[in-house]
Amino acid sequence: MVKTNRKIIRGVLMLTYVIIIGVLLFLVSSLYSFLNTGADRSKMLHTEVKKIDQYLPKVTWKDDGNEGRKISDQKVKSVENDYLDAWYVKHIAYKTNTRVGIEDYFTESARTNIYSILDYNKKNNITVESTTLKHNLDIEFFSEDGQLLVLTDTDALEYKKVFKDNLLILETTEVNTYRYILLLEDGFWRIRHMVKENSKPYKPQTLKATLAYNNIKGINYYPQATPWDMFGEDYDISIIDNDFKIINNAGLNTIRIFVQYEDFGKANVDYNKILKLKEVLDTAKKNNLKAVVTLFDFYGNYDVLDWTLNHRHAEKIVSAIKDHEALLAWDIKNEPNLDFDSRGKDNVIGWLNFMIDLIKDIDKVHPVTVGWSNTESATILKDKLDIISFHYYEDKEKFESDFIDLKHKIPNKPIVLQEFGLSSYSGIWRPFAGSEEKQANYYAEMQKVLTKNNISFMSWTLYDFDNVPKEVLGRLPWRTNPQKKFGFINSLGEKKLSYKHIAN
Amino acid sequence: MQKKQQITLLIIYFLILCTQAQETNFVGNISLLTTQKEFSVSEDIRLEFIVKSDVRFNIYCSNSYGSSIIYPEINEDKVTFKIPKFLSKKRGLLTWKTTGLKTNISGSLFVNPLQQPKTIETYLGPPSIDAGAIDYTMLVVIPTDSLDNPIKDNSKVDVKSQFLKSERSTPVFTDKLIGYKNIYSPLKSGRMIISSESYGLNSKEFDVNIMPAIATNFKIYVKRNHDYADGNQITTFYTSVIKDRLNNVIIDGSFIEFYITNKKGNILKTTGTTINGVAHAKIIHPDFEENWSVKAYAIGISESNVLNLKFKKVIDDYTVDFNDNNRTIKIGPLESFMGQIIPDGLIVKLFIYKDKKLIETIFKESKAGFVEFNLNPNIFEDGVYDFMIKTAGIEKEFNSLKVW
Repeated sequence: MVKTNRKIIRGVLMLTYVIIIGVLLFLVSSLYSFLNTGADRSKMLHTEVKKIDQYLPKVTWKDDGNEGRKISDQKVKSVENDYLDAWYVKHIAYKTNTRVGIEDYFTESARTNIYSILDYNKKNNITVESTTLKHNLDIEFFSEDGQLLVLTDTDALEYKKVFKDNLLILETTEVNTYRYILLLEDGFWRIRHMVKENSKPYKPQTLKATLAYNNIKGINYYPQATPWDMFGEDYDISIIDNDFKIINNAGLNTIRIFVQYEDFGKANVDYNKILKLKEVLDTAKKNNLKAVVTLFDFYGNYDVLDWTLNHRHAEKIVSAIKDHEALLAWDIKNEPNLDFDSRGKDNVIGWLNFMIDLIKDIDKVHPVTVGWSNTESATILKDKLDIISFHYYEDKEKFESDFIDLKHKIPNKPIVLQEFGLSSYSGIWRPFAGSEEKQANYYAEMQKVLTKNNISFMSWTLYDFDNVPKEVLGRLPWRTNPQKKFGFINSLGEKKLSYKHIAN
Repeated sequence: MQKKQQITLLIIYFLILCTQAQETNFVGNISLLTTQKEFSVSEDIRLEFIVKSDVRFNIYCSNSYGSSIIYPEINEDKVTFKIPKFLSKKRGLLTWKTTGLKTNISGSLFVNPLQQPKTIETYLGPPSIDAGAIDYTMLVVIPTDSLDNPIKDNSKVDVKSQFLKSERSTPVFTDKLIGYKNIYSPLKSGRMIISSESYGLNSKEFDVNIMPAIATNFKIYVKRNHDYADGNQITTFYTSVIKDRLNNVIIDGSFIEFYITNKKGNILKTTGTTINGVAHAKIIHPDFEENWSVKAYAIGISESNVLNLKFKKVIDDYTVDFNDNNRTIKIGPLESFMGQIIPDGLIVKLFIYKDKKLIETIFKESKAGFVEFNLNPNIFEDGVYDFMIKTAGIEKEFNSLKVW
């Protein structure tokens, strides 16, 4: 008995010993492996390039040689890089009244001039938000030892907003000519002297572009399976081709498609996406459709320092497809007036203003519009836009009078009803709110008014969708579910009652 | 008489028109009183406005370096803006714009730098150039006034240079904020001193090293104690005084490579750097009869003549003794041209063949004039071998020797 007890005790002791050792071993080994993870040998030298595009104004170089030593293209590139960085740190400094980065791009004597202005502005609580959109650079002189150069920036386009106690008190656009002396110090081209030689008011020459035809009968288009993600991974041109056939057969002549800002690669536009966009336009042409291309979908920053990046995005897309026969018009932004509250009306309108100038500068043929979400906002920038576009989701009874009001305010520009529609959704989140009959009735009545007043229209939308990404309307089911049922064709591909009234 | 009256009338009429024009200069409720358009950086700039009613406003003001908002001093119907020094002291355009009015007015002033420089920023480079009036260095001057602005364009700057006995002063005129001059090298090497002067102000003094230009072709010579190929003595090659095309001795430390081609066409190389234009390079004698042809180069720049050298045999003959069942091979005495034992270290090679196939090569250095090879019976079994001995360029063959 004693022996067995002792054996049991011995066994238990041994077992505990083994367990304790096991636990200790495990702890020590996991500590050891923890200390050995994280550091990748390849990262020791920090050789990876961490360049992010922050500031990309349009830069053109005057390539007419210079006095002194001949300058290589590589050197020109590094001058450009440092010069733009100098502007960028200056913008940041005046925006925040801090000195960060100034010393990298201005020599010791030059930076005191900036510091004294910064100190004054800080004391008086003045901030300046600014950006430059265009630089026309020319190297006039490059010294023999490669350490000094004279640079001119002719007609640099500068936009500034001046705030006092966080209130906007001035917005100004200037076209300035500067002359600089730059010195190569510590591998940076630093500004030594800076002289503003000339300043002109900004007068963009906006040519008027006319619409190819006035009787737009159109529809906002997304493929059924990939709404708000037309050019993504599930892109399938055969589905789009088929849909375009349906649209054309329904008697429509126009589609409105959307280019997502981030999906297309922001400032560095993905070439493959442009190819897809071109393919969609080719297919539209094949099916006798023209397209209104809406840019900057899902973009909502409008920050002044973001403008140059937006401009490079627009520039690439516009210049890639501006000669396409299927292109009808450019729609800069979908419902930008909805961002007025969160981003500031001045910001948004300023942003649109320069974007119109940019696009019209590149594409002088196609008209430019903005898809305002209601009739009240539709008068904004009316003198600059070629077409006035608005969306109408309010009471159909009021539509005619609202339209006539708008027409009265803007008598001499084509006005397009760019989005309208009614959801046939009826379910747990909105019982008895809609039905296919109500939808069909809505379209029938709207079409009567449209025909009567000869209004160009584009309805929302061809298909019912199975899912709506959270970026569109958020996650709340009582908002997303009705959005799924705006189509003329349900998700099974069957035509709904409203299909009869898709065109007039 | 009438004509005069007419003219005075006309003038009066014109003056009235002018005053009227000034009165109608009101934009909105304010009018700019200051007519001066150009200022100097040292001046206090005041912008005066007359205001119609109790209008209050500020101005936005922007110079070359940045922008700010300026607040007025108000004196009844006169509103004065004193542009702060930090904005008005920089050369260039100063733009202003009223803020907070229904119709804002704007304008610009030109702020001119002073004529008198306070400092002359000078940049000189490259700091050393080749003699010969082809290469040049560039002097860039930025004369700046007391407020650190580049002085007016088209200001005269005298560039002075001194070299040996010559002193020169040439005027340059500033343009695009700077003035510059290319200074070509003189024909001789040495040190040039450069400075500049503008409106009585002298810059710092800078010096440029005028280096001799690149080497021209040169000659080479050889120095050796004797011409025997003893593998021990050292031969020295040296160059003539190498000069550039203008007779300046080339810079010390120029690298000269000597290429030696031997009888078989193989290349040996030795190098030296110049001191006072002469480069020395050394190489050990071969240990067998040789013919060398030597040529030196300043690589990529210039070359020398070809020098031919002969090395005589140091040993005419030697004896080989086979002992100990032919397992010990004793070579020697190795005597040199004067009958004395040659210095230790001469390489003797023994090639061992069996059935016409080379099976072993043994190297040994001579010691006290002798070399002894021992054939280990564990490696070289009993049998018939052929031997060849080679030293100082002399080969001796011993065929079909029985080793046991």
